[in-house]
Amino acid sequence: MINFAFLNNNLLKRNAKASGVFLCLIVLSSCGKPSQDLTSEYLNKLNKTYPSQSGGTLIDAMIGEPSGLISMIAGESASSAISANIFNKLLKYDKNLDLEGELAESWQVSADQKTITFKLKPNLKWADGKPLTSADILWTWHAVIDEKTGSPYASDYQLVKKAEAPDPLTFSVTYQQAYAPALDSWSGLQILPKHLLEGQDLHTTAFAHNPVGSNYYKLDGWTHGENIKLSRNLSSVLGQAKIDHLVSRIIPDSSAQFLELMADNIDSMSLDPIKYARIIPSRPELQKKLALYKELGNGYTYLGFNLKHKPFDDVRVRKAINYAIDKQEIIDGVYLGLGINIASPYKPGTRWSNPNLKPYPYDPAKAKALLKEAGFTDNNGDGILERDGKPFSFEIITNQNKEREKSAVLIQRRLKEVGIDVKIRAIEWASFISRFIKTGDFDVVVLGWSLSLDPDQYSIWHSSQQAPGQFNFIGYNNPTVDKLLEQGRLELNPDKRMKIYHEFARVFLEDSPIVYLSAGYGLTAIHKRVKGIDNPAPPAGLGWNSYDWYIPEPLRRSETGRNEMSAN
Amino acid sequence: MNKSLFKKVLANPLSKAGFIIIICVFLLAMLAPLITPYDPDDINVKVILLGPSWQHWMGTDGLGRDVLSRMLFGSRISLLVGLVAVGISTAIGILLGAIAGYYRGWVDTFIMRLVDVMLSIPSFFLILAVIAFLTPSIINVMIVIGLTSWMGVTRLVRAEFLSLTEREFVQASRTLGAKDARLIFTHLLPNSLTPIIVSSVLGVAGAVLMESGLSFLGLGVQAPQASWGNILTDGKDYIQFAWWLSLFPGLAILITVLGYNLLGEGLRDALDPRSGSSK
Repeated sequence: MINFAFLNNNLLKRNAKASGVFLCLIVLSSCGKPSQDLTSEYLNKLNKTYPSQSGGTLIDAMIGEPSGLISMIAGESASSAISANIFNKLLKYDKNLDLEGELAESWQVSADQKTITFKLKPNLKWADGKPLTSADILWTWHAVIDEKTGSPYASDYQLVKKAEAPDPLTFSVTYQQAYAPALDSWSGLQILPKHLLEGQDLHTTAFAHNPVGSNYYKLDGWTHGENIKLSRNLSSVLGQAKIDHLVSRIIPDSSAQFLELMADNIDSMSLDPIKYARIIPSRPELQKKLALYKELGNGYTYLGFNLKHKPFDDVRVRKAINYAIDKQEIIDGVYLGLGINIASPYKPGTRWSNPNLKPYPYDPAKAKALLKEAGFTDNNGDGILERDGKPFSFEIITNQNKEREKSAVLIQRRLKEVGIDVKIRAIEWASFISRFIKTGDFDVVVLGWSLSLDPDQYSIWHSSQQAPGQFNFIGYNNPTVDKLLEQGRLELNPDKRMKIYHEFARVFLEDSPIVYLSAGYGLTAIHKRVKGIDNPAPPAGLGWNSYDWYIPEPLRRSETGRNEMSAN
Repeated sequence: MNKSLFKKVLANPLSKAGFIIIICVFLLAMLAPLITPYDPDDINVKVILLGPSWQHWMGTDGLGRDVLSRMLFGSRISLLVGLVAVGISTAIGILLGAIAGYYRGWVDTFIMRLVDVMLSIPSFFLILAVIAFLTPSIINVMIVIGLTSWMGVTRLVRAEFLSLTEREFVQASRTLGAKDARLIFTHLLPNSLTPIIVSSVLGVAGAVLMESGLSFLGLGVQAPQASWGNILTDGKDYIQFAWWLSLFPGLAILITVLGYNLLGEGLRDALDPRSGSSK
């Protein structure tokens, strides 16, 4: 599932990357920093309304450093969060999640639903002044499907049988058969300049660290391990953004980020529930200068069974565990109420989410009955169930993510109550993926999916997607679901398509290959000096109009000092 | 002799303090199940991150568990890891040191170069690397710390053996036909115990710190089992807000390590005839 999104998406995403932690860093940065005096004069200034104006610098923080800014190669959120400001796509989602043209002025789908013809806006230009034409788009398509590129996003574009650029303003693609997520896929592909990249190896090109794009911003400087600076692209094809400079500081530890936020050295960061619901509300000086935003994310946390391992191949066992886990307790205790108990793998409230499905209730008695039916009994009286003389015991692995670790501890306790012995192991992200997920060497995972806006989940749940590195690593294989997922990709009528995905969610819930734990909220703090932010966030998310955010002149940081509020 | 040693140690106020600290920590660890007010793993999501109060003397953590109870049970882990790890390293150290010091020659050269190689690798990173390959667990942590910290003892034992083998009573014993084993176990080893004891006590302090560090990095004792390093990790995200989650385990580590160090120094002064300052 591609998660390209909007400007400043890195604010909104809780980066799964584990962080190296050094106590000394925390200690050093926590001492000797006098907190700013929030004079009433300054507060008045902060809370005034100002006309929209351009200029200023917005500083945010990111957990991980991008490996490069060609996102089709990097395939990571850290990269696409930055490159989305630099490159354009053919299409984009508007405020209400309807598709509109970005580089494309218009597009047409042929009567047989197999060909899409895009008409580009006239006079498009790269930041270096060269014209941006359909040849660039065709080249980008060739690049993404090229096996040498090895892009994780290739499969969407490989379905294109023929792509053509008959004239500089026209680009058309023809699919083997109708492909419903096609338009969504073109809202995800960042278009690269052919004239700078032709004949180069995308994996080694210097362009990845010195890109030339066409969007609101261009790269100004990149200090490895410290920050990435962007400045306004004066020849942007979409008009001008308000804020002059975007600085993304690389701060690999969220507590260090928070200290920087408190010290006013960054303007925004994504928060965990405890910071959002407990720490900031308990500190008036933070409440006064920070605005908090909450939006339901398009993703969820789940517990997934390795279906190739016994006894998780038995649906009764999976259901029993589902009944034995108290999801509300996890939402209340771990997410402090900032989550939703879900029953289908779609964002609640959207058309794709089946409103008739109910989550498995917490029912330990039913869980015990199902386990007994599956042949598990406690013969030796140690409180742990056995089958064929072997105790029912397994290990939950998760990455080093505080919420997931805590969820696992709560699950451990609930499962112990029905006679299942659970061990927990939290593993650093890179080895978590390479050693356990890719090799399938695990029993149960606690993980999350962040999803694209299209309901197609072929790449996650279709039985053909189980090769190492592919997303169906739990080994889910259900012919009915396979068929529904295939149909869903072919069906372009939104109502029929909705029915297909509602049915998919129903079968999927009944099968219980995963236990939905929570659909969490994205929580963000942004300094009040940043104006023009939509609150509450529209369906497209907080950052959808970030090019329109502005920082009024009296509230800007002074150019020299790092630590001044303003010259008040 | 034991009694006088004991008196000597207690005569020095610092080592007395160390001794008392260690005794207290051991008592608390052993009595943990009797004195903890709550089950250390008892989750209660209604009392998340409460500060110290009469109900929870050291507050509660991110899952509403009682920090005092977790601290007390965590002390068992820290002490166990310290003792077992040092037991392993001391056993290896004595064995290799004795072989090197007694037989000399190429065996000595080989072992001492091995020590040099091991010492040239920063031990914390070596341990990190090894643990990353294994499953993190208490047992692995104990073994790995033990296997990577025997070099100091080896050097000490070898040095003692080298000088002792030249002494008259050893020479006399050898002349009278004593076998290697008898020489080593009845003459050489008992006479080199002093530095071994001192370095072991100091080694426990190092091992306690090491375990806390590993658990802090998520490579040591695994959740939900409490250890001081674990509690400290949980606290680091909220260090400005939930100070009790960082302060108490930090203090516990500090005090315990200090206790071992004071006791170790006191023992050295008491046992070493050359440092004449102590009475």
